[in-house]
Amino acid sequence: MAALLELEDVHAGYGQTSVLHGVSLSISDGQVVSLLGANGAGKTTTLRAITGGVHWTGDIRFAGRSLRRMHTEDLVRRGIAHVPEGRGILTELTVDENLKLGCYLRRDRAAVRADYQRVFEYFPVLRDRRRLSASTLSGGEQQMLAIARALLMRPKLMLLDEPSLGLAPLVVRAIFEIIRTINQTDRVAVLLVEQNARIALEMSSHAYVLEVGHVAINGTSSELQGNESVRRSYLGY
Amino acid sequence: MQELTQQILSGLATGGIFASLALALVLIYNAMGLVNFAQGEMAMFSTFIAFTLIDRGMSYWIAFPLTLVIAFVAGVVVQRVVIRPVERAPVLTLVIVTLGLATLVNGLAGFIYGYVPRSFPSPFSVQTVKILGAYASYQDLGVIAVSGVVLLAIYVLLQRTTIGLTMRAAAHHPEASRLLGVRVSWMLALGWGLAAAVGAVSGIMVAPILSLEPNMMQTIIIYAFAAAVLGGIESPVGAVVGGLVVGVTVNLAGAYLPFVGGDLQLAVALAIIVGVLILKPNGLFGRAAVRRV
Repeated sequence: MAALLELEDVHAGYGQTSVLHGVSLSISDGQVVSLLGANGAGKTTTLRAITGGVHWTGDIRFAGRSLRRMHTEDLVRRGIAHVPEGRGILTELTVDENLKLGCYLRRDRAAVRADYQRVFEYFPVLRDRRRLSASTLSGGEQQMLAIARALLMRPKLMLLDEPSLGLAPLVVRAIFEIIRTINQTDRVAVLLVEQNARIALEMSSHAYVLEVGHVAINGTSSELQGNESVRRSYLGY
Repeated sequence: MQELTQQILSGLATGGIFASLALALVLIYNAMGLVNFAQGEMAMFSTFIAFTLIDRGMSYWIAFPLTLVIAFVAGVVVQRVVIRPVERAPVLTLVIVTLGLATLVNGLAGFIYGYVPRSFPSPFSVQTVKILGAYASYQDLGVIAVSGVVLLAIYVLLQRTTIGLTMRAAAHHPEASRLLGVRVSWMLALGWGLAAAVGAVSGIMVAPILSLEPNMMQTIIIYAFAAAVLGGIESPVGAVVGGLVVGVTVNLAGAYLPFVGGDLQLAVALAIIVGVLILKPNGLFGRAAVRRV
């Protein structure tokens, strides 16, 4: 099966500091893949390389096409929704305007309406707060808004950067439940960056562990969960 | 009482002019975190274009919108050619670039049109009409109406249309907007075009009062700065309210404070700038700058 997203020997960094030293990974259609590792291992930089937020060499292919020299705006329009570190909420705008920006490029109006219904079913709190400034939302609500907006983009692939960060365990559960639902209903592939390895491995079918800028281990999630020494030295539980 | 009403009405007319230019400053400030020091000069040059069109026999009400279109295109071109290459440069570089642009446009206007003041036509008669027990000139009422329509149009564009939404998104959150597919660079260029067009309105409205010459906008821009600062520099609504407040205040001060008269009105504007910066640095509609460490 051809991969939806493929990274091949990707090097990337900020100015003189290189962060990724040859990362290779692949995700196929509809698959959930976890990207794990300690702070500073290069998880966020990997996501940023994919959407062109950082200069990279090597090759990144999405749906059979190289993303080299492609602008962020254009590759996003090809079906990648990136919920970045810090959630990427436009706090100067209202909740509704944030959602609108998720689907303003879509022309299939009826489907957009249906997607709005779904979003509000998943996250009823967003319907109640539609007219409020997004800056008034709590951390968990902002994460919900970010995921709702990503859903409205109708992507082929979602890149989620630590959706659990700073949230209460119950909220994390609820959000991951909905990520799973979205994955299963829409066959959206998900690349999930997480510190919380336990919950990430429960969701994903495959996982990569990054260590200072390269892939230290990769395998199916159950393999990684089962391997005591991997768990202890890399995943910390 | 009658005179007070009259003074307020005429203050609102000049306030509308200040508000237009202040709004132009705010639009650019939101897009690049800096006011465009060439905004007034660009407005002056646009007014010369309107003058040329009318001088060649075009009707005022065709020349006016046509000038706004030309100003819009010129604003976009200036952003693409002059500003974009230094987009990521330090603030001081951008200050110098816009100051240089101001000098360039001013010199260019002098070179092409000369420094002899010309009278600029007004479509409104100077006759007066009685409203609210006071006599208001059609000129003042016309300026208020035109500014009002233009400012309302900008408001609708920014708040009620998709393109306005993406412009606001690009200005405030460039990185996050890119991830949503917004062509940020072009949105900023549209912002420049819009600012140039609104600025042109202020130039065309003030020209019949001041007479047209290359340095015409140099005092107006100070009033516009005062208006923008009073409104909170980031807020389009604040710029409009600030413009009206500055217009009325300056007019009343000129009329009722004997030591101000006609000569010290600019000092009133400067006093407003200094006063706001000392007492309420975020202006009337601005929010406190919060920086996370």
